[in-house]
Amino acid sequence: MKFDISYTLEAFPRLLEGAFITLQVAILGFTLSVLLATTITVARTSLNSKIFNSILAFYISFIRGTPILVQIFLVYYVLPVFGLNLGPFTAGIVAITLNSAAFVTEILRGGLASVPVGQFEAAKSLGISGYALWRKIILPQTFITSIPPLVNEFTMVLKATALLSLITVVELMRVSQQIYSANYHPVEVLSGAFVIYFLMCFVVSRSSVFLENRFKVKRA
Amino acid sequence: MTSNFLEIKGLHKRFGNIAALNNVSLNVSKGEVIFVIGPSGCGKSTLLRAVNWLTPPDKGEVWLEGELVGSSSSKLTIKQSQLLNGFRARMGMVFQQFNVWPHLNVLENVVRAQLVVAKRKRADAESTALKILDQVGLQNKIDEWPDHLSGGQKQRLAIARALAMDPTLMLLDEPTSALDPELIGEVLTVLKRLVNNGMTMLIVTHELGFASEFGDRLLFMDGGEVIEEGPPKKILTMPKTKRLKMFLEKLDVTSFKKEEKL
Repeated sequence: MKFDISYTLEAFPRLLEGAFITLQVAILGFTLSVLLATTITVARTSLNSKIFNSILAFYISFIRGTPILVQIFLVYYVLPVFGLNLGPFTAGIVAITLNSAAFVTEILRGGLASVPVGQFEAAKSLGISGYALWRKIILPQTFITSIPPLVNEFTMVLKATALLSLITVVELMRVSQQIYSANYHPVEVLSGAFVIYFLMCFVVSRSSVFLENRFKVKRA
Repeated sequence: MTSNFLEIKGLHKRFGNIAALNNVSLNVSKGEVIFVIGPSGCGKSTLLRAVNWLTPPDKGEVWLEGELVGSSSSKLTIKQSQLLNGFRARMGMVFQQFNVWPHLNVLENVVRAQLVVAKRKRADAESTALKILDQVGLQNKIDEWPDHLSGGQKQRLAIARALAMDPTLMLLDEPTSALDPELIGEVLTVLKRLVNNGMTMLIVTHELGFASEFGDRLLFMDGGEVIEEGPPKKILTMPKTKRLKMFLEKLDVTSFKKEEKL
């Protein structure tokens, strides 16, 4: 069988539409996961509660100890049993968020550990506490040191969205399947998807260097 | 009223089975400069950190200008912790390790707490910051990042950050101990100016020369207790207790050894 690039080019506009949905899911899911993980991180430190910590430890080990595909199916097929009927798009975002938040929580724990206690103390000694202490002093430093692993986690999320094709989210992978099941040219169509996935992840990884320079040049 | 400017009443603090503070009481008048010396682990830093409740004592009370800063008898309510923020802003603290904020430039380091705690307008906060940075000799560094500053400059920045809140009292925890010898002078110069401006200060230090020249009173602490207290020159030249004598001898020996190395 000969590789006919015209099938790739023909599929390209629709693949790009799919890629747009992929980006939407990834950005939404990752943003929500960072918000959730930040809340968890602040709560863990300020509450210092054993119950909260054990629930958190259970959640993280559950997420890390099971395949993300199972988690996606669980949200999509099991939640409706309890009367919570989410569409595939929403279910996909919920699954991605819950999965990624566990990893982002671990990343932020590392970032927070690199902020010396003295940074908290200096702020408190000036009367800065609570929300302002975190928002203005501690979290900026936590995030700056966490840039590389966070960018890495985002590429993981971006790639994981391909699994949402299995719960009928019409993202890049699903669109590819729809096209090649009609024209019987999977190699040409998937090559197009391959290139688009690669370019998206490449741009994201490069942004790490950009972000690090943006925030770290002043510190080096 | 002046004698009641800062009242420390019966502070106790234990870490495990070590008594960091064992019934320490102290009255400070407005404008008084008090130095605290003692061997490492004697509780001198804990005393300072208990005054602004950064290390809440197990027992005892702290009063600033007739108002209760904190009392160990009850847990802090939300209202009390809000009040505590106000008290802390009035008690500037300077740390051995500077603790300047690396993600903010020099000007922002001095501006930030003014915006958040004192609720000043940005323009006012910036002009206050510029004025104070000028006083500590950092007027040429306002756009610089803290990681590009020398230790002495970082400590002067930390002092400026505290001064921007218009504190009535300064707590300085070994402000020169982490500095290279040649950088100590520039920080002491700034502190001397504060003394001359009549700032009330509690200073933990090993700079005995500085203490004897500028201190109104000197406390020698050991084992969580104030062992000797009085005018610095008198205490340093005529120590009454054996413990202080031994402490001063050790300091002399170490400073002698340092000179020998040079």
